[in-house]
Amino acid sequence: MTRRLRARPPAIHWPSVRGRARADAGPLLLVAAVVAVVTLLAGATPPLIRATADDAVRDAVRSAGPDAEVVATARFDYDDGVDGRVRNPGLREDVEDFRNRVDDALDPRLRAVLRRPVSVVSGPTFDVTDGSLLRTFQFTYLADERGAHSATQVTWIAGHEPRAAVPPEDAAISVPYQAPPWPVQVGLSEADAAALRVRPGDRIKLKDKNYRAKNVQVSGIFRANDSTDPTWRLAPGLLRPRSGADGVGNTRLGGLLSPESLPDARLAVESDELDRYVHFEANPDAISAGTARDVAAILVTLRATSTGSGSATAGDFSPRWQSQLDGVLGAVQIRINAATAQASVLLVGVLAGAVLVLLLAAALLARRRAQALTAARQRGAGLTDLGAELLLESTAVALTAAAAGLALARVAGPGISWRWAVPVVLAAAVAGPAFGVLRAARATRDRRVPANRSARLHLRRTGQIRRAAVEFAALLTAAGAMVALHQRGILPTPAASAGALAPWSDADDTAALASSAPALGVLVGALVLLRLLPPALRLALRRALRSRRPMAVFGTAQAAATSARALPLLVMVSATALATFALALGVTAERGLADAAWRTVGADVRLDAGQSEEVDVPALARRIAAAPGVRQAVAAQILDTARLTDGSGIIRPRLVVVDAAAYRELLASLPLPDAPALAGLAPTAPGAVPALVWSENGALRPGMRLELPRKDAPAVALTAVGTAPPVGDTRDVVIVDAAALTAAGVPVVPDTIWVTGPGAARATTGIAGVETVVRTEVLRERRTAPLTAGLLRLAWLSAATLAALGLLGLALGAAASAPQRWQTLGRLRTLGLRLRDGRWVAAGELLPAVLVAAAGGPLLGLLLALLTFDSLALRTLVGGDSDPAVAVPWWGAGLLAAGLVAAVAVVVWAESVLRRRRGLSELLRVGG
Amino acid sequence: MSGDRAAGPLLSVRDVHRRFGSGPTAVQALRDVSFDVGTGSMVAVVGRSGSGKTTLLNVVGGLDSPDTGTVVVDGTEVTALDDDGLAGLRRRTVAYVFQTFGLIPVLSAAENVGVPLRLARVPVREREQRVARLLDLVGLAEHARQRPDELSGGQQQRVAIARALAASPKLLIADEPTGQLDAETGLAVMALLRGVVEAENVAVLVSTHDPVMMALADRVLRMHDGQIHEQEAP
Ligand SMILES: Nc1ncnc2c1ncn2[C@@H]1O[C@H](COP(=O)(O)OP(=O)(O)OP(=O)(O)O)[C@@H](O)[C@H]1O
Ligand SMILES: [Mg+2]
Repeated sequence: MTRRLRARPPAIHWPSVRGRARADAGPLLLVAAVVAVVTLLAGATPPLIRATADDAVRDAVRSAGPDAEVVATARFDYDDGVDGRVRNPGLREDVEDFRNRVDDALDPRLRAVLRRPVSVVSGPTFDVTDGSLLRTFQFTYLADERGAHSATQVTWIAGHEPRAAVPPEDAAISVPYQAPPWPVQVGLSEADAAALRVRPGDRIKLKDKNYRAKNVQVSGIFRANDSTDPTWRLAPGLLRPRSGADGVGNTRLGGLLSPESLPDARLAVESDELDRYVHFEANPDAISAGTARDVAAILVTLRATSTGSGSATAGDFSPRWQSQLDGVLGAVQIRINAATAQASVLLVGVLAGAVLVLLLAAALLARRRAQALTAARQRGAGLTDLGAELLLESTAVALTAAAAGLALARVAGPGISWRWAVPVVLAAAVAGPAFGVLRAARATRDRRVPANRSARLHLRRTGQIRRAAVEFAALLTAAGAMVALHQRGILPTPAASAGALAPWSDADDTAALASSAPALGVLVGALVLLRLLPPALRLALRRALRSRRPMAVFGTAQAAATSARALPLLVMVSATALATFALALGVTAERGLADAAWRTVGADVRLDAGQSEEVDVPALARRIAAAPGVRQAVAAQILDTARLTDGSGIIRPRLVVVDAAAYRELLASLPLPDAPALAGLAPTAPGAVPALVWSENGALRPGMRLELPRKDAPAVALTAVGTAPPVGDTRDVVIVDAAALTAAGVPVVPDTIWVTGPGAARATTGIAGVETVVRTEVLRERRTAPLTAGLLRLAWLSAATLAALGLLGLALGAAASAPQRWQTLGRLRTLGLRLRDGRWVAAGELLPAVLVAAAGGPLLGLLLALLTFDSLALRTLVGGDSDPAVAVPWWGAGLLAAGLVAAVAVVVWAESVLRRRRGLSELLRVGG
Repeated sequence: MSGDRAAGPLLSVRDVHRRFGSGPTAVQALRDVSFDVGTGSMVAVVGRSGSGKTTLLNVVGGLDSPDTGTVVVDGTEVTALDDDGLAGLRRRTVAYVFQTFGLIPVLSAAENVGVPLRLARVPVREREQRVARLLDLVGLAEHARQRPDELSGGQQQRVAIARALAASPKLLIADEPTGQLDAETGLAVMALLRGVVEAENVAVLVSTHDPVMMALADRVLRMHDGQIHEQEAP
């Protein structure tokens, strides 16, 4: 042995290497297959998530609408002259100049993700004084780089573009402060003109908030060249009357200003009443998860450094920046981080299962090679030489397989990531040589069980202490991981996530620990089961010995004799548990998606008549209700712009005005929370209108008194008499009965219809003027949304891979114990056991561990799901505000268990077929 | 079912050939082997390693089948039996003792001895009595509840012999039963076998390397290159 102390490069005996590889081609191929499959999964997932992260960012920006805009505001300069206000004919240039200044001030990285800016100048809202209806009016000037909208974006179909109120020579005229209302020309859309019943040349009857009449003249009627152009959204009510923009029962109309009439508009209102904005719309296609991070940071600083009041009286004309885009990006960042973390949890599970299987395969290989290795040792091969030979082989297998897996991943997805494949490749490369060298060393060291009883006891003690130490360490790590997961959640800590939008970029230390929590928990559970199995089997054996069925005795005896084998049970339990965990995650997400879709839509189909006043919603509801297959159609008015006061401040809940009885009936028939409290909303004696309230943060509580302010009328008093069901995805809800509100003098204009029944979708297709929201479509859209679809697919794939690994564990474990099993069976056969009874004994040997895995694995997986799902931020996956409740994957878990038990039958059958051809004498001779 | 067959020898081996493999590497493990063994005798098979002892014992016990030739045990032609027939033969007529003992590790000595009785579905009471008697016979009454790993090699082999005798076989086949034991223990085990022949009225066919063991046998079959080379009385 001392010879070995001199360092020398290990001598590789190539014929042995080749011979061994050829003899064990099967197991080596199996190892390669496991490495390749897991590398494929682990290598393809991170780039896939990264790619879907880009899609998710774009989707989020696209659907954020106005929230994704960046807006700069600044007051106009003073226009005071010597004895009055001075008309500024250069106002158009002023506006243009402001737009250019603001555009130049933008960080190029921010500008790169924004569309070209649009200038908006808008006046205050005036009240229309021509009738009984509550209507408001606002004039707006819109211009972008193509020019003013009045010139470039519309066609004048009657009259003309608004002109200056004064001849050119008076362009800069001074107007005394006390002069009558200054005239201003505006253009109207056809719809607005019709609603106001005005023609070119007419004056619109308006008064401002101080009840002063305004001199606003219609110069012409226009038609938008492209009414879908998003810039029209910047002036609500301009293209068509828009209800609800200024509160309950209100309709907003708009007038379009031209560059010529803009100076007049300035004079028509108080000097600080005209607002100018520059709007930048975000361009979803220009944003990626990577750039989003910079954009969000730039926006935050931009907003922070422009805290100027923007008020003219304070002499501050510098632009003030507003944007929710960073918030939108932050929200999608949370979803990306969550998806990344959830994917990590699933991948760690697959990796854990794969590593265990590879260890088992390595142990099996070493066992098969025990003789050859011992022989090599006896020929004089050093342990280092053997180790080097084995390492050469295993590394070649592992690297080739990993390369194949990564190549497949490259073909299947947008890229590869090798980081996650490392543990598997390492396990495949190192486990084999380690087990082989250990076996060779043990074989030649001639360490027999000591004859001395106390020495034997000592040896066993040492082994027990070592095992307990390992188990204790695993327990501590798992407990630590669980605590980390519960305390910090699965999402990155704020410090780490501040700049990390790209997945897996700067993960903090505890993130890895937290995402290993389920796998570690499963491992500890498996270790516990491993501890429990031997005593349980000894107990079973004691009972079996009292039975009259010999097969029960022998099967149990064999099982008890082999129950100390740790790896097979560890693999089976861990793999089935982790597969169940993945299934539970998938099923929970699916269930959560379905529930969230119910909540979002509120029925099978929801019709939003929205701002359009052309639809008679109640009549439409009656018509739909009568259609075949429709169970119910309930009309309601939903106002997200409502402002309520509670005495101390303003609350902006979603105000739902609905026939309470019909709504209650609707909810009762749907998988949505019932709301018996709706019965208490029926109109009662005059006085406060009863309302149901709900809010996530408790801002609205039953018992509160609320007021619904109205223009030109006393506020309506509301009393919160109970808790409302959540309506849609909103934080605060107030529900009042339509009849009760009407009785209180508030006109109710339903704009929403909830439709239920199997024919709901058919009955609501092709209705003009309304937006149709079909629950099944919402569900499909969310389920196929980039991050969600990716994660669901990963969950199913992980479950399938882990189930396969579990079965592989069973097969490998059986293969490892087969020689001994069939030798024992051979011995029993020499005692008169029939071959076919022998199969029962073989099954009896394998079954206990498999039954433990089949029952314990799924239970363990479910337990871990119950323990950890709260911290996995699954709400981000389903698109709801709250985490979905854990759903039990009955089918999947049952199939897993049944599959394992069925596999025992297959294994026993295959083993007996393989050995039938060999005579009993041979079985006894070579034991296999 | 056996008494009336005492007319012939208990074991009769005729013209048995057994060849392993084919072509140039083929091994003729048994060639033209014929001999008889009568009830109540102990026959030793001796010979160098590779001479065919194990092959012969396997063929006799039906663990292996000869290429040609017949083996008749207690009037039953072993070479003509199917799987179930062989199982029945092993349950009632032929028993084995192996070099490596082959006890079931998690069962006590007594339980191990009871295994053949369980297979034969002997009633519990009867089984327990028989096990106790056999453990007494092999001198292990004190160790009935100990498990194999708590017994010495010699003790384990004695348990194996008791187990082989449990179902009252007529022929006991022992392939180098003392191979893993030291000389002294081996001799004791051999002596036990010798005693069993009388006590249980079985025939014992035992293979061994050890000349001292041969001295205990009634007859010695000397094997050489697959042939029974000479037969001699000790
Ligand atoms: N299953 C087999 N396949 C191929 N050859 C075999 C087989 N069984 C036995 N042989 C060969 O038959 C010959 C006789 O073997 P056998 O085991 O009967 O010898 P033995 O006398 O029992 O030797 P030992 O004293 O070493 O046990 C040997 O050459 C052996 O290699
Ligand atoms: Mg032999």
